[in-house]
This record gives sequence, C-alpha cells and structure tokens, in this order.
Amino acid sequence: MTGMERVPMGPPWSLDLIADLHAGVLPPEVAAQLRPRVEADAEAREVLQALDATLEDLQALPPIPMPDDVAARIDAALAAEARPAAPVVSLDEARKRRNRRLGLGGGVLVAAAAAFGVVLAVSPGGKQADTPGDAAPAPTSNSNVSAPLSVRGDNLGAAVGDVLKAQNYGPLETQDRLAGCLQGGGIASTSKPLGISPINLDGKDAVMAILPAGVVGQFRLVVLDPKTCGPDKPEGVLADTTIKPR
Amino acid sequence: MICDRPRYPPNVTAAASSDADLISAHAAGDPYAFSELVKRHRDRMWAVALRTLRDPEEAADALQEAFISAFRAASSFRAESQVTTWLHRIVVNACLDRMRRRQTRPTVPLPEAGPGEPVAPRDAMSDRETSLMVQQALMELPEEQRAPIVLVDVEGYSVAETAQLLGIAEGTVKSRCARGRAKLAKVLGHLRNRIADANVPADGVNVQEQRQWEGR
Repeated sequence: MTGMERVPMGPPWSLDLIADLHAGVLPPEVAAQLRPRVEADAEAREVLQALDATLEDLQALPPIPMPDDVAARIDAALAAEARPAAPVVSLDEARKRRNRRLGLGGGVLVAAAAAFGVVLAVSPGGKQADTPGDAAPAPTSNSNVSAPLSVRGDNLGAAVGDVLKAQNYGPLETQDRLAGCLQGGGIASTSKPLGISPINLDGKDAVMAILPAGVVGQFRLVVLDPKTCGPDKPEGVLADTTIKPR
Repeated sequence: MICDRPRYPPNVTAAASSDADLISAHAAGDPYAFSELVKRHRDRMWAVALRTLRDPEEAADALQEAFISAFRAASSFRAESQVTTWLHRIVVNACLDRMRRRQTRPTVPLPEAGPGEPVAPRDAMSDRETSLMVQQALMELPEEQRAPIVLVDVEGYSVAETAQLLGIAEGTVKSRCARGRAKLAKVLGHLRNRIADANVPADGVNVQEQRQWEGR
C-alpha cells in the first residue's frame, strides 16, 4: 500500500498535506501524482509559496554571536579542564605581604597547589587543613535552595566547573555586596562574575566566585566568608588565586 | 644536553590549522588546541543551543557541559566524521538532554494576532524586526519541531545529518519540519486566514499512514 489511495487528488487539500508535499514527506509516487495537481490549483499554490517564504525567513536569520561573558565562562571551564594537575599561581605577593602586615593568620588562603586547586591554609586556630583528598562535590545547582557545594580546602579546583555554571550569590545576595567583599580584599571587580556559588568549605559556609583575571586564558578564583567580608575587611577573603595554563 | 621538547607542534594552534589538526594536537597534549577549536565554532553552537533551548542560561550550561564532554572524549575521536559534525552532535545531545529533563516550559507569548494574520505589515518592517518576529515565532514551536527546523532550515544541515544528530528517522525529520513550517507560515502571516484556518486533516490520511511515511 503506497497510501496513494488515501490522499485526496483534488482540492481542497489541508495545509498539513501540502506542507508534507513541500517537505518531501510523501512517498515519491504519491508526490509525483499530487504535485502537478497542487501546482495547478491557485489556492494550494499560495500555500506552497507561503511555505517557501517561511523557509526564506528562517534561512535569513542572522547568526547569534556568543556573548562575551558566556565565552569567558566556557574558556575558564576549559582552562580548568586542561590543567588537571597544573600548579596554580600563588596568591598575589603584594596582598600576602599586606595581609602579613595586618597579621591576618586566620582564614587567609595560601595557594600553592595541585590539581588545579589550591592548598588552603584555613587556619582559624592556626591548624593547617592539608589533608589530602578530593573535593566532595555535592550536586550543584543554580538554585538558592539546594545544599551548597561541598568543597575541601585542599582541592578547591574540583569545584570550579560547577561554580562556573552557577550565578547564585547565596548569602551575599547581590553583585553589589560581592563587589564590597572583593573590595575588602583589594580586588577591583565591576563586572558580573563568570560563576558564583555558595559552597561549604570544610564545613564552613563560604561563597566561591570566579572572575576574569584580566589576562586571556587566566581566571581568578576567590573564596569569601559571607559573615565577615566587606569593604575594608580583608579577613573576609578566604582564598584568592589565579588559574592559568601551565 | 637534553632539551625538553614539546609533545605537540608548537604552532599547531595557529589559525591555519585544520580542525582535525587541532583535535590531534589536543590528544597530544597541546593545552590550547581544544580552546582554539571551540573558538572557531562557538558562535554557531551558541546559536543552535539558544534557538533550541530558548533560555540563555540553559544554553550556556548546555554548551559548557557539551564542550567539557567533548574535551574529555576528543582523544578517542576518529576521523571518520567531520570534527564539526562530531562537536555539533555533542552539543545537540546536551541540548536534547536538557529539553527532555524539563519536559514542559512556559512559552514566550506571541503578540496578539489571529491565526494567519500578520503581526505587522511585512513590507513596513525592517530586516531586524523581521528577524525578531521569526525568532519569536520559532520559540513558539513545540520542541520536537523546533530542533529539526533550527538544524535544517536555520543552520543548513541536511535532513540526513539532522536525523543522525537527533537520533530519529529521516522521514520524521521531514515530517516535523513540515509541521513546524506550516505553523510558522501561519504565525508569520504568509498564509491568508481562510487557508490557514482550513488546516484540517485530509480525509483518509490517518496517523498510522503518517507514521508509515515518516519511517522512510
């Protein structure tokens, strides 16, 4: 059975049937019989022309360039992926010196790291959190109601991919508050972060933000303590390191 | 004296390299090769993801997942297929996965207009306005029709390639494109009301018959 006996060979034809003919859906033998009849009918011919015009509209749609922030985010994710064992650039020396001057022992991150992460010296009591092991990423989400991403201080890099997918300011709530916290760490940032998410850093609530580093292919990873960070509060910056290709 | 030698040609990420060269360089350890490959194709991939998923955040997430997945799988890429087809398939699959997961989603309402009535006089619209209207109409299509329309009619993939990308029969691609174009023709005002409103199934053309044709 070809279906020919089921196709009306005279008008009026449904729009769907003419669209099928136009798109080459019908069996060739059916189409061969139907096409000349459809083309001979003024109304059906109008439908074919309307379908042609629709195709032209679709084909004329302009390209959509990827927005810069999405491109930067994907570059960062690929850079993270490319450097699974890359050393991370140390903390900015100037800030370390300044922090030392300020006597900020607790909560300051010393980046020295492996696995695209950093070794954190989370030391509220002077105890170094240097236990080896992977981050234990919890299911991540852009949602404010999900449990925060669980991250271990000795492998911050494991969270980068998930954080890049999020735009969740968590307890910081707004970009302005983030900017204030960054300012407290001497970090000027006026643009939206490439990714931001609340995390649970070794049992402590924190917020991780990934920012453009100002150099192509490099990105800045900052971990903030939402309870203490703010302008003129450098102690609220728990980690600040740059991710770059080896 | 022993010198460290790079495991990949130093200039492989130069603009003149082919996509296949970049994949090879990536497999050989060039840390920049894959990013270069992505840079070449990301705008087209972004357009597909955005037009398929409709939501910029979702499109960005899908692309990130897809590119990371491709990054990890690139070393096993075999040259039987074009790099772009391979990469596109990964992107389309990531988008389809998201579409399946969310199932339903509120649609962007079109401007008030009857079926077949032009939303605005077409000859009075600029190209930009036309594009916006077409884009908006595209967003109104059911997802199962939108994906093949985006790939075949907007991005220029063949029916066979699209069938492969979407994992459906070629006849199904054609049929879904036919349905989608018919709907768009109405929404875009290419059809007069009388014709558009007369869109009733032809006598005797039943669903079973339709499926029989689609499978071809």
